[in-house]
Amino acid sequence: MYRYDDLDRQFLHERVAHYRAQTERYLNGQLSEDAFLQLRLRNGLYVQRLAPMLRVAVPYGTLAASQLRALSKIAREYDRGYGHLSTRQNVQFNWPELAEVPAILEALALVDMHAIQTSGSCIRNVTTDQFAAAAADEQVDPRPYCELLRQWSTAHPEFEWLPRKFKIAVTGSSNDRAAVEVHDVGLRVYRDQQDQVVFDVLAGGGLGRTPVIGHQICTALPIAELLTYMEALLRVYNRYGRRDNKYKARIKILVRAMGADAFASAVAEEWQHTRGGPATLLTTEIERIEKQFVMPTLHQHTDYSETLAQERFDNPDFSRWLTHNVTPHKVAGYACVTLSTKVIGVPPGDVSDQQMDAVADWADAYSQSEIRISHEQNFVLPHVAQCDLLALFKKTKAQALNTANVGLLTDMICCPGGDYCSLANAKSIPIAEAIQRQFGDYDYQHDLGELDINISGCMNACGHHHVGHIGILGVDKKGAEFYQISLGGHSGHSQRPASLGKILGPSFARDEVPNVMAQIFSTYLNQRHDEEDFLSCYERIGIAPFKETIYAKSDS
Amino acid sequence: MQNLIHNVTGQWQVSALSASETPHWQTDKTWQAGLPLCVTVDVEPEPVWQTASLIGIDFPAFTDGRGLSLATLIRRIGYKGDLRALGAIHEDVLHYMVRCGFTSFLLPEDCDPAVALACIAPYTEFYQGSVIQPAPLYQRRARG
Repeated sequence: MYRYDDLDRQFLHERVAHYRAQTERYLNGQLSEDAFLQLRLRNGLYVQRLAPMLRVAVPYGTLAASQLRALSKIAREYDRGYGHLSTRQNVQFNWPELAEVPAILEALALVDMHAIQTSGSCIRNVTTDQFAAAAADEQVDPRPYCELLRQWSTAHPEFEWLPRKFKIAVTGSSNDRAAVEVHDVGLRVYRDQQDQVVFDVLAGGGLGRTPVIGHQICTALPIAELLTYMEALLRVYNRYGRRDNKYKARIKILVRAMGADAFASAVAEEWQHTRGGPATLLTTEIERIEKQFVMPTLHQHTDYSETLAQERFDNPDFSRWLTHNVTPHKVAGYACVTLSTKVIGVPPGDVSDQQMDAVADWADAYSQSEIRISHEQNFVLPHVAQCDLLALFKKTKAQALNTANVGLLTDMICCPGGDYCSLANAKSIPIAEAIQRQFGDYDYQHDLGELDINISGCMNACGHHHVGHIGILGVDKKGAEFYQISLGGHSGHSQRPASLGKILGPSFARDEVPNVMAQIFSTYLNQRHDEEDFLSCYERIGIAPFKETIYAKSDS
Repeated sequence: MQNLIHNVTGQWQVSALSASETPHWQTDKTWQAGLPLCVTVDVEPEPVWQTASLIGIDFPAFTDGRGLSLATLIRRIGYKGDLRALGAIHEDVLHYMVRCGFTSFLLPEDCDPAVALACIAPYTEFYQGSVIQPAPLYQRRARG
């Protein structure tokens, strides 16, 4: 993990002092509501429907056990004993007092954490693969480059006041778990034929009101020029992105208006000025950062698969958990473990202070003191020895973090929705809960196989509904909450390109949604060939059979 | 009377600016070499602007970052004179503006100059380079 030095800490402490002074000016009436809004957003503080919400940055989703304990303490002391894992790998607190936020930021700074640029029209926290440095299918560990981007984008003098928010995601695996195709900028990092680290750059992707798949605008960008190229790209966006309408202000609208080729040319032209300039990365700096992410020394283990097979045989619950929540590690004898937060009755991604403390303890005991947050809103322990899996599994039950459902129907992505968010048109948490209750049976889920259900409470698409195999979007129909359903979306993992879902048809009332789901599932089960998963089946048969089943029935 | 924050031999100072001291601003359409030039945030900078006696960038809103990129580009074409931010600027954005090459700020009437002066340099160091300090922090780190 990246370790802060005195200069990193000095900046963070100055930032907290700066924001504390701004909060005091606001509370004393010396700072207008409009001006303070912009400043508090850039320090992570939203004002939500019921209370302020503080979004803490978890850079590229990586946490040390000590940092997770600090979050747990904040949940206890300043919140109501829980926090929320967001779809951008961050942690949110729903009930802080505005006047106490500087004290929370100070507590975060003590463990080298912050809430800088987690909202507002600026460059946001960089996200990546939750299995970075551990996944067996990875080519390059993306985290050093995420950290270089984090440092470069923090309080950047020119890019703090962009037309709109700007999200960067990086993947180092062709199995893209970071959804780089639906980000403002997506980076694919790999080694070229000369074994040099290079990046393919995608721009103009995004979800929200106008979902778009990003366009590749640069191929094999050398690592030394990563920041000079980003500077050129952001300058073009900052100067020419629309500012007259916030719904048309994201970079995807600019890329579409100019055309991807013309946008790429404009960036390339500006890059001629920045390339080779002062932002060019020196090899010494690249190596200094890379060195901090060198994989921890993992003890050599002999092959454990035979014992594991016996443990599986003896314990069916453990066997299910291994099947769904444990994925291959690049080091023999190790595994990546996902701890699902998706249990009935708990909003997806919500975790209590006790769960946080327990996960921190397990990370210390079994995973090199390291934890990740996935964009599917689960915890990940990235480096667990296979011989420890059973011991870990047994501990997870007491904390309700043992659900064997990763990638299945009940492992839904869900935004906070109308229960918390002032932007939402409709509630999303009760929809998730109704689906979990109706279809929670393990055998049924297992039979349905891999299925991403993503739920957003409004067009802003925080629940990524466009890229769910089944997407559910809350809409407002004459003051009533309705839900529009789309099929066939995909975020780009499992070696498939990303795709955007197609709308099924007219929307449904909340109590109709579980039955519509049942009809979608039965259509799939009737139509599938052998082992065909939901998405493959959908791609083969199209949307028509689903429409016929659902709307024919509702007409009769 | 408006307050101007400007850099006098390395020190930031506040001066009250009377109406008679207002520069005879020219737009980019009427400007000629040697005159003070005031531009909107959406113009394309011209190399001939190097000869302006003063350049002002008029911000339509303090959240409009185009003026920050424009300032960077005006410095890139080689303009060495006073670069002034005016219009809807805000004291909490001044420290970003300084790093993009602005050297004076015409404060809006409701802005307390003492507060603005106190907001001008809240940080000792920044990670990335800027117009006024092109080398990024890590290069100073390596030396230190």
